[in-house]
Amino acid sequence: MDADAPAPAAGRALRWRLWALVPAILLIGVVSATVAAGDSLDGLVGNAPPPADEFAVRRVEFRPGAISIQVTNPQRDDLTLAQVTVDDALVPFSVDGVQGARTLGRLESTTVSVPFLWVEDDPYTIGLISSTGIVTTHDVAAAVETEQASLHGAAGLAVIGVLVGIVPVALGLAWLPSLRRAAPRSLAAFMALTAGLLTFLMVEALAEALELQSALPGALNGTGLVVLGVASSYLGLTLVAGRLSGGGDRDRSQPLGGVGLATLVAIGIGVHNLGEGLAIGSSLALGELALGTFLIVGFMVHNVTEGLGIAAPVAEGAGSIGVGKLAALALVAGAPAVLGAWIGGFLTNDLLAVLFFAMAAGAALQVVVEVGRYVAWRAPGGLTSGHVVGGYLAGIAAMYATGLLTA
Amino acid sequence: MRVTRRRLLAGAPIVASAPLASLALADAYGADSHMMDGHMMSAADMAAVHTSMIGDAVPAPDGPDVILEPPRGYEPGPVRDYELVASEHSIEVAKGVFYPAWAYGLAGQAPSVPGPTIRVTEGQRMRVRLLNASDHPHSIHFHGIHPANMDGVFEMVDPGGAFTYDFPAAPAGLHLYHCHATPLKKHIAKGLYGALIIDPERPRPPAQELVMVMNGFDTNGDGANEFYTVNGRAFYYARHPIRVSRSRTVRIYLVNITEFDLINSFHLHGEFFRYYPTGTGDTFEYTDTVMLCQGQRGIVEIDFKNTGHFMFHAHVSEFTELGWMGFFEVVD
Repeated sequence: MDADAPAPAAGRALRWRLWALVPAILLIGVVSATVAAGDSLDGLVGNAPPPADEFAVRRVEFRPGAISIQVTNPQRDDLTLAQVTVDDALVPFSVDGVQGARTLGRLESTTVSVPFLWVEDDPYTIGLISSTGIVTTHDVAAAVETEQASLHGAAGLAVIGVLVGIVPVALGLAWLPSLRRAAPRSLAAFMALTAGLLTFLMVEALAEALELQSALPGALNGTGLVVLGVASSYLGLTLVAGRLSGGGDRDRSQPLGGVGLATLVAIGIGVHNLGEGLAIGSSLALGELALGTFLIVGFMVHNVTEGLGIAAPVAEGAGSIGVGKLAALALVAGAPAVLGAWIGGFLTNDLLAVLFFAMAAGAALQVVVEVGRYVAWRAPGGLTSGHVVGGYLAGIAAMYATGLLTA
Repeated sequence: MRVTRRRLLAGAPIVASAPLASLALADAYGADSHMMDGHMMSAADMAAVHTSMIGDAVPAPDGPDVILEPPRGYEPGPVRDYELVASEHSIEVAKGVFYPAWAYGLAGQAPSVPGPTIRVTEGQRMRVRLLNASDHPHSIHFHGIHPANMDGVFEMVDPGGAFTYDFPAAPAGLHLYHCHATPLKKHIAKGLYGALIIDPERPRPPAQELVMVMNGFDTNGDGANEFYTVNGRAFYYARHPIRVSRSRTVRIYLVNITEFDLINSFHLHGEFFRYYPTGTGDTFEYTDTVMLCQGQRGIVEIDFKNTGHFMFHAHVSEFTELGWMGFFEVVD
């Protein structure tokens, strides 16, 4: 920079920032005027419909001798909870420890506690009645005591997380020695298989995120949350990919491969397993899922293919890899299932679940792109060879077939 | 003249003694706030759930006001005049829950659901003027014997309009009145109804009298009731038990106007009663439970043999737990 220039340059920068404030100041003025006008604007186009006055039930927990209901006011205006019913019977209740009615502000959440001798495995219908007599009902298919945050419960969820997350990925990695001996064409097919199964996971996670967001209160803008989750994890993983390939020094035309690519695949699968663990944990906690041996086996078989997906780029890459690094890859991909199970088991999680599954979709998409670039560069015959196309389809088919076991 | 009559009808409400009574009951069931403290629920708490509404000691200012004093000093005259106003009025149907009702009220007084009890003696000329202060056409259809042009079916009263129903009261017994504008279901469910007592020329023996109109409220418009009550307020007589004297007969004028549900019923604990269907004859059934369809009514006479708290409720358990339950507090 020119030694004589700094003063005028700094002045220009300051002026630029000041001018940037102008729209913000104007916006504040317009907003203030609109707020001041208040209700007179409501009548401009017809009459506003009456408020729906429905609550959003976020979570229902069953404790010994009590039912606990986490509820949010999703409406624009204040909403008063006046009465509570269980199976069409008015019951006494307390809100945050205070007996009787309670007014909730916009998006305010609270916990309603109902002393109730519920019957194990019986279905229940919870009704929340507003001061205007509108009833929000929430069905519980079967009452099961909710696991409280405890060492025992945490250990149980951790075991399940390890069984459905870490173990199958580690088993899948054991394909590595055999992959090392495979012909280049076969290896290309397995790389394509990795891309195929990640594509499957991406669509599955996105569908899950969109389904979960539709149950959120409209005011929380679930769709926007999905877009945010997908974009942030995609771009975040792009940054990670850049780091793994040695910053900006490396020639960008040469895609990431070997252990670097395997790490990326592991991260993508790890984010997915975070969401999967959360779904399993919350379903277990709320008694919506009977996690029998069959279902655990189903998740294990399903996730073994994820281990294969990580092993393929390692085998493709040059050089050797230690057992320690392999174990680290298995942990990156599998351990988030444990974390997810804890979050799902012990917390109100509908927002997090949407965010996690959206992030899983974004991460998977990024890894598919990364693997695709690598296959296009390395595979004999490129992306259009029969091995690659066949491997890709086989990856999707394998996920679909093993997924049937978890349904 | 009219004011005196009105006071006679509204009566010096028995609920005046209710706050004390309800406190005593709350004590008896241990229904203070500790039941909410812990997670656990004991058997004592279970007992408290039945009386969970107890503890709200002060009756709401526009709570039901239809309990009748015995018609002491009752002077039959040649004409009975009433002026009823139909209007739109928000009423509290359960603690904290407000319902945009359509209601009848005596001129100059707050409307109520059920509407004011109309009481005449058989053979008296009954003259009821209806003033429509609401946004919808309404009428009054009286059960009983009267000319076709006094039936409230063809004589719709438009908003702002008025009509006088004028005919001799017959037959003696317990009847009801309600709006007959269409859609009928809507006009009844919204609250346009009340009891009509036609006393026989030879008065019934003296008793502690009260009216109980069994009804329901569909607060979310789904064609089913969210709350069930007698006289318009869920669990009102559970919070404010009706204090009666053991030495005197209790006479209940029991009317069922519940919309949407096919039947309602009345069941008394720890005692039997004489039930006179429609109150038109001397034959009675000695029972503790009666079943009534919509529009059915009868007179209940109880001679309590014991003192204490005796529950009464619909023997449709669902209605009981949605508000149709209360207590007599029988004292010496």
